[in-house]
Amino acid sequence: MQEPFQLEQMEKETKEMLKLRYLTKENCTFQRTPGGFVSLTVGDEHYDRIQVFCTFPFTDRYRCVSIRESTEKAKEIGIIQDLNQDLDAETVAMIQEQISLRYFTPVITKIKSVKEEYGFAYFDVETDHGPCRFAIHMSGSAVVHLSETRVLFLDLDENRFEIPDLTALSTKEQKKISVFL
Amino acid sequence: MSVLESLPALLVRQLESQAASSSPEDPWIFAAHTDLNLQGEYADGYVILGRDVLVCARANGKKIGVQYYKGTRTLQEKKHQEDQIYTIQTIPLARIESLEVIRQIGCSTLLCRYADPPQQTEKLGKAEEDFLTGEFRIAYTTNLEAGDLRHLASLFSKWKKGETLCADDAKSKSEEEYCPKCGLMYPNPNRKICPRCMDRKSVFVRTLSYFFAYKWKIAGIFFCIMATALLNLVWPYLNGTILYDKVLSQDEAFLEFLHLPAGRGAVALALVVLTMILTKVTMQAVGIVQGILTAKVVPRVVRDLKNDVFESMGRLSIRFYSSKQTGGLMTRVMDDAEEVSGFFIDGLPYMLSNLVVLIATAVILLRMNWKLAIPVLLYIPFVFWISSHMIPKLWNLNSNRHRARRSLNGKVNDNLTGARVVKAFGQEKREVKQFDRYNMRMMKTEIDLVRFDRLFDILYTAAENISTLIVWGLGGFLLFYEGEISLGLLITFISYVSQLSGPLDLLSFSFRWWADSMNCAQRIFEIIDSISDLTEAEHPIHLEQMKGEVELRHVTFSYDPNKAVLKDVSLKIESGKMLGIVGRSGAGKTTLVNLISRLYDPQQGEIMLDGINVKDIAFSDLRRNVAMVSQETYIFMGSVLDNIAYANPNATREEIVEAAVLASAHDFICKMPDGYDTIVGSRGRDLSGGEKQRISIARAILANPKILILDEATASVDTETEKAIQASINYLIQGRTTISIAHRLSTLRDADELVVMEEGRITERGTSRELMEQKGTYYKLRELQTRALALRGVE
Repeated sequence: MQEPFQLEQMEKETKEMLKLRYLTKENCTFQRTPGGFVSLTVGDEHYDRIQVFCTFPFTDRYRCVSIRESTEKAKEIGIIQDLNQDLDAETVAMIQEQISLRYFTPVITKIKSVKEEYGFAYFDVETDHGPCRFAIHMSGSAVVHLSETRVLFLDLDENRFEIPDLTALSTKEQKKISVFL
Repeated sequence: MSVLESLPALLVRQLESQAASSSPEDPWIFAAHTDLNLQGEYADGYVILGRDVLVCARANGKKIGVQYYKGTRTLQEKKHQEDQIYTIQTIPLARIESLEVIRQIGCSTLLCRYADPPQQTEKLGKAEEDFLTGEFRIAYTTNLEAGDLRHLASLFSKWKKGETLCADDAKSKSEEEYCPKCGLMYPNPNRKICPRCMDRKSVFVRTLSYFFAYKWKIAGIFFCIMATALLNLVWPYLNGTILYDKVLSQDEAFLEFLHLPAGRGAVALALVVLTMILTKVTMQAVGIVQGILTAKVVPRVVRDLKNDVFESMGRLSIRFYSSKQTGGLMTRVMDDAEEVSGFFIDGLPYMLSNLVVLIATAVILLRMNWKLAIPVLLYIPFVFWISSHMIPKLWNLNSNRHRARRSLNGKVNDNLTGARVVKAFGQEKREVKQFDRYNMRMMKTEIDLVRFDRLFDILYTAAENISTLIVWGLGGFLLFYEGEISLGLLITFISYVSQLSGPLDLLSFSFRWWADSMNCAQRIFEIIDSISDLTEAEHPIHLEQMKGEVELRHVTFSYDPNKAVLKDVSLKIESGKMLGIVGRSGAGKTTLVNLISRLYDPQQGEIMLDGINVKDIAFSDLRRNVAMVSQETYIFMGSVLDNIAYANPNATREEIVEAAVLASAHDFICKMPDGYDTIVGSRGRDLSGGEKQRISIARAILANPKILILDEATASVDTETEKAIQASINYLIQGRTTISIAHRLSTLRDADELVVMEEGRITERGTSRELMEQKGTYYKLRELQTRALALRGVE
């Protein structure tokens, strides 16, 4: 049976939706769950499992980190304004771990070869996670320019690979990817 | 292939000793490979679904070798490392409540939700794990393997529901398809084509068939090209040997050959000059004829190819259009048609004629003087090497410039479209600065290209000149010291040498041109050959007069295999009645009506119209009897008249005007300067949302369908227009079965039955009054809307 309709309750929820709640070490507690996730207690609310979304995943990863419910709707619970400032070191590490898993993006450290063939480009690279080979579509939006010197590649399954600083690559390596720049 | 065969041998042995399943015969159903460990490092892992247990095997170390993503692994390279030892976790299926794959940005997590643990009294003799409760992450993977993990989770939920799992279930859903010839993974598994081993020959023959209809013209073009090649071969002989050695040196044998008495050298000269003029004129004339023939053939073949593509596009189902991959494919196909025929007309004949010229020139050179010919012929591979190495780079630079130009144009376009916003926020200066960045990039690519182009030109010309200089030097030596050759022969020889560069240049990139054009042709044929996943029944049932009874029986449907949009939906609408559908966005309302008009077929269940399955009804009858007016109206390019008469082109003008009057569209159409003949659509006059909506209602009125679907028909118009449209709709629904989706519940007041949809299911049904009494979602929405209206009233 459905819950009886209460207009006041609904209006309250709508108003809440318009409010931004900041989470700090004073008003909330994050904890690791035995299952490897993170739980959150804020005031008298408790969430068994939360999701961590970056609002600025490229430009300022640890600012305004949005903490959301684990349901499909992923309703926002609150925002951590500055992850490194507002929480204690242990919690920061825990949240950062969640972020690095969610936004799993190997960083390209060396470009061994790039071969272009029939509409696809095949990359053979070294990353901070180990050697990788991946392929991208030549057409479409497989190459995202995050800035003048920062590039993100999306492979055929939308796996991400990042070159944080193009100038750090050798001229030879830069030449290999010049087609995409 | 059995499940165990896909696993590393060591893991199989570990499984056999550690994770004995109680069903010894065929104990494993499906294994999903994972490529990340729980710390987010590359590491092999397997999640294996057994008949009664779930096994998580995690490699004890990080991956040492290369991590292969889609499209890069060949058959010889294994997914996993063979020498890994795994840590095995075995979970009895009975202990698992659900498995869920949480899709994140760069990876996916497999979450295991444990069922309630057994009573503490039963604890004796059981492992600690048997008493776990809550949610546990049991595997991580990159997006590469996420599909298999989702498949495993769906197999588990099937098992949980008590459904039997068949052999087909064991197949990997993201099964990487390999090219059987070279072992390369297909970059796109839906397009089982290996770019490396594509059978270009058969594509070539098939493309040739398009030209067959114009065989005489093609023969003409071919003849012209060969004639030009031949005349080109004759030319050096005329202006070298004949002119210098025969005419200018008053060769008597030559004069005799021309039946001229000795001393009439001037006449002979006039004759040779005339022949030379004639040769040049003939060459020009042949060129013109060839141009005319080409202009006649190419556009026709392009038209034929495009027509075939367009025809097959019409045959394909909506699903084909919504898929991202094919979307990109379609836009390219039209360009492909031109590329293909361009190659056949410009490339192929020239390649052939150049080959002939090259061989013939080489033979002539050798026959004229082998001593002179050898250095030249030895030089050919070098020139060939220069062009084959430099031309790809030139192409790359060219495409760089093309890309830079495209982004520059994009920027300009963006600015023009958003001019109002730029002005409103006073951001002109910043925009100019940004534009300068794009402009600068364009300039850089342009400079790079020109620089390289010059370099290429210089090198190439230098290479050519050196060969000519060698011939001059060696020839001079042979002429003055050895007296072996004549001046005329030397000049002829040099002319032939300079003729080599053209063919060499073309042949050096001809293979790439051929390969590219065959790839284009392949894409075209793919569309032409693709079979619609919605096909008409072999012997369709014709329904001249439909009653309009609609019934859905246990319909389940999903766009993406892992997320059902409609779940077991059943409903019945009697002929002439009106059904209203209410629900949040994304609840599956539009999908439901799309299924009724058979834009998609459901995966499970049936849709019956007048008691007949829609799959058996002839498309023409179905389309004639079911019409839809949706929120997103589409106005085709053409006149208002064409647009209204779209579904019924034979309608008389009076009928069209009547339909427009009933749709409250007549008034605004008359006020347009060109009335019903006003050109509308993408290149015509702009219509407002309400106007478009009214035209599409007129279209539906004229189509006179038995079943009418209104999908948020009045959502995008102002209140006044809505009233007018509502009046038209009220007329339109008379005597028809109507299914109406609306957010504004007041528009559904007159519905005979209302259903509320939530997350793909029907949660409430009944008349408006019954639903108000139930005090469920409908009541809630109704109440909210009434209050909102009341509030507006107060203001």
